[in-house]
Amino acid sequence: MTKNIHEIRDPIHVFVRLDSLEREVLNSRPFQRLRHIHQLGLTYLVYPGATHKRFEHSLGVMELAGRVYDVVTRPDPEYVTDEIISLIPEISRKDRLSYWRQVLRMAALCHDIGHLPFSHTAEELLPECWDHERLTRELIMSNELAAIWKNLTPPLNPDHIVKLAVGPKKAQDLPFTDWERILSEIIVGDVFGVDRMDYLLRDSHHTGVAYGKFDHYRLIDTVRILPKPLSEEGDESKVPELGVEEGGLQSAEALLLARYFIYSQVYLHHVRRIYDIHLKDFLGGYLEGGKFPTDIESHLQSTDEGITAALWAAAFDERHPLHKVAGLIVRHQHFKVGYQRNPHDQNINREAALLVFQRAKKYFGSEKIRFDHYIEESGPPDFPVKTRDGKIVSSLSISNVINNLPPLAIDYVFVNREYLDLFKKWLQENRDDIIQPPREGEENE
Amino acid sequence: MNSLKTAVVLTTLVTRLRENESWCGETHVQKAAYILQELLEVPTGFEFILYKHGPFSFDLRAELTALRADGLLQLEPQAPPYGPRIAATKLSEKLQELFPKTFNRFNYRIDFVAESLKGKGVVELERLATALYVTREILSEGTPSDRAQKLVDLKPHVTLEEASAAIEQIDNLMENAQSKLN
Repeated sequence: MTKNIHEIRDPIHVFVRLDSLEREVLNSRPFQRLRHIHQLGLTYLVYPGATHKRFEHSLGVMELAGRVYDVVTRPDPEYVTDEIISLIPEISRKDRLSYWRQVLRMAALCHDIGHLPFSHTAEELLPECWDHERLTRELIMSNELAAIWKNLTPPLNPDHIVKLAVGPKKAQDLPFTDWERILSEIIVGDVFGVDRMDYLLRDSHHTGVAYGKFDHYRLIDTVRILPKPLSEEGDESKVPELGVEEGGLQSAEALLLARYFIYSQVYLHHVRRIYDIHLKDFLGGYLEGGKFPTDIESHLQSTDEGITAALWAAAFDERHPLHKVAGLIVRHQHFKVGYQRNPHDQNINREAALLVFQRAKKYFGSEKIRFDHYIEESGPPDFPVKTRDGKIVSSLSISNVINNLPPLAIDYVFVNREYLDLFKKWLQENRDDIIQPPREGEENE
Repeated sequence: MNSLKTAVVLTTLVTRLRENESWCGETHVQKAAYILQELLEVPTGFEFILYKHGPFSFDLRAELTALRADGLLQLEPQAPPYGPRIAATKLSEKLQELFPKTFNRFNYRIDFVAESLKGKGVVELERLATALYVTREILSEGTPSDRAQKLVDLKPHVTLEEASAAIEQIDNLMENAQSKLN
């Protein structure tokens, strides 16, 4: 008899299990390509263990998505209350539940197939109006994958897979039902999204940084779909949302703390960030027209190995027009931090770092200075918590940890290392002149 | 509009909403900013989509987080089960003083929005902002009853009676806003 369930060993989840139909997706070209895309771009230059790929992360996301789904749809009034059934009638239909489980796992498997070489690093080198989510969407709708969706019984609607894989923020043209929104949150959500759960655990494991670990078993076991009051001021109307039982709140807090620390220590590490900038500078000259192609065949052939080979060739060829910038990466001669965001200067002018960058560029020349800016986009996670006495409350009303987590923000001005001492002296002499309160009419547009 | 001017507009909006008895959670700010941008033509440039509680902008959410990171806004936790309220900080007052032209150019429009939404809860704001979304984005030529029906189609928990009232309110608000701008 042919085997229908297959197991893949995984350092985070021990085994990832998938059925034969999911294995067809795994064997497709878009998915196999992920074996050649580093999960964390050039982070391995700072944390040598970070050589893992999007391939295993996507398998992990599928595994966790199935686990969360099984918990939040468990046919038990402790898990799915009558109130939730009245808000999402779909959840009580057995035939639909198995359909949506399949859609969710397929969406989880495919959620990253649009990633460019070196993952997020070079996303801005896509043409206007393109991002990796749009490429993911194109690939899910492509003939190769559409043939798989069509052959399933019942066939899967590719629109459903797209919605769950990229979420409402990146599929603004598609209307989401409450049920679809919740399912997409299982993959891409800020707190209970399994994409985040897997990357924190996996990146932490591979970088050797312990901060990313949290009790995901407890968190998954306590996730529920809960009726959240529609308004902040406690109105009677309710909307269904992913939330957590009070007993799992500390696990949710631990995840958010893990995220905060791993962002600070790994994703926003200053050396990692400058390598990203150098790589973008290289790619801007290497790619035709300075942009990644968006047609599917070109995308499928575009991998980290291809670009790494070009990078090395340029670094060893003194006549190559990209020799210098390639050498900064290959010979580890990256620019260094000359100035970084700090509360004192922010209080004077929220654009302090940008002002330093602009003046430094004028003084030292644009080829010697680089600027990096990041502020996280999501606010503090406001999700429903079911207290021990059965009340539904806002996470922000009972968690000091969540309330006090500062938004992640960085600003770096990087300087060619040969000019670093000069830069520091220059900044010391001119700091007060550069960082002044903004004046109307003179600010940056 | 650059980031400093946007900061002046949003922090002033938060202050005015609080002065006008708004709870001023994120949903209130989202709806008020939508009306300010679409009806009062304040060029904040946020992209709004129809989301869980009506028009919503992910860009605006990111900007509110950035304003917190820069110490211009803060969250005030409330007793359970309620979500937090947003408040402007002293630093934001300083910024408003540094941008008198921007402040004066948009202040009366911000006042108009805050006064028009005085004391309204999220449920009412959801209906009102969705009514505006239907009127501006979906059925700009539609009769009031067509637009009310569309609102019900989009938000099935809203009754036709409530939707009709919201459409009538938004039509009045549009008329008043236009005379304010003229």
